[in-house]
Amino acid sequence: MHVRVEFTGQLRTAIGRANDHVDLPEGATVAMLLVQLGEHCGEEARPHLLNASGQLQPSLLVAINGTAFPSRQAEATVLREGDTVVLLPPIAGG
Amino acid sequence: MKPLPELTADEQGRYEWQLRVRDFGLEGQRRLKAATVLVSRIGGVGGSVALQLAAAGIGRLILAHAGNARLNDLNRQLLMTTESVGLPRVETAARRLRELNPHVGIETVGENISESNAADLVSRCDVVVSAAPQFAERLLMNREAVRRRKPLVDCSMYDLEARLMTVLPGRTPCLECLYPEPPPNWQRQFPVFSAVSCMVGSLAAMEAIKVVAGFGAPLAGRLLVSDLRDMSFRTLPIARREDCAACGSVAHGG
Repeated sequence: MHVRVEFTGQLRTAIGRANDHVDLPEGATVAMLLVQLGEHCGEEARPHLLNASGQLQPSLLVAINGTAFPSRQAEATVLREGDTVVLLPPIAGG
Repeated sequence: MKPLPELTADEQGRYEWQLRVRDFGLEGQRRLKAATVLVSRIGGVGGSVALQLAAAGIGRLILAHAGNARLNDLNRQLLMTTESVGLPRVETAARRLRELNPHVGIETVGENISESNAADLVSRCDVVVSAAPQFAERLLMNREAVRRRKPLVDCSMYDLEARLMTVLPGRTPCLECLYPEPPPNWQRQFPVFSAVSCMVGSLAAMEAIKVVAGFGAPLAGRLLVSDLRDMSFRTLPIARREDCAACGSVAHGG
């Protein structure tokens, strides 16, 4: 199945694009999506998704079809074909 | 509860056009005059917050920001002037704001928010607007506002993106519900146009005005996410975290 992923903030800068369509197995969770992205996104972007132990970055906010959750609350959510996932690492520019 | 202050003839004349705003009116203006707002940092975002609140006639502003203006602040910190480079930011800001509206009381604090001053500053205001470029500072401001049950408007930007949320302690999620810990890799030097920082600062000021005057619907339980690259504006529903270290122990009700 395919989900649309949008990148924001410094994650978008590090990844170098605003969005992507990601191919995932049926029944894949948010955690599986982020680990898959983390494996392929490059050294600069990975810390926005995963911490040094390979766990989801707690400070990452994940919006699934328009509702936002901290990554650790969203990790077990099962994704479906056509879902849109927006990844929102914190920004603090003042 | 103290009675609301009356408006002088000069104030009624000054605010004539905004007194026509639906659901605001004379009582809303008197509520603004009675209120004190703490603005954490007066850079590109917070400086715009302070400017808008001063123009609107907030009774008192507490401006907290350490350091002197630098040349490379001038692309976005619109309260600063070319002549003010090298001088304390809060003093220049206070002078500019008094020139705009001498009815506003302005207290300057030449320090950033820290463990040593947060409790005192929050205790002396009615609403907090947090616009610091350091995440630890914003989480501290959030904790103190929640602890003292003071509404908090948190505003931030990066590149052409902006985010805004309003925390009503006891009623809504707080900043720490969304971000349980500071990000490990936030880069202090962020790309910024003044047009973006002023926009989110103006939106934050509108939230503070609504909360103080008691009209409209603040961004309670919603996060505004905007991106001026494609002019998208989205409000995302957000929820409390029961195990939130900042607000989890605060009784929540309607």
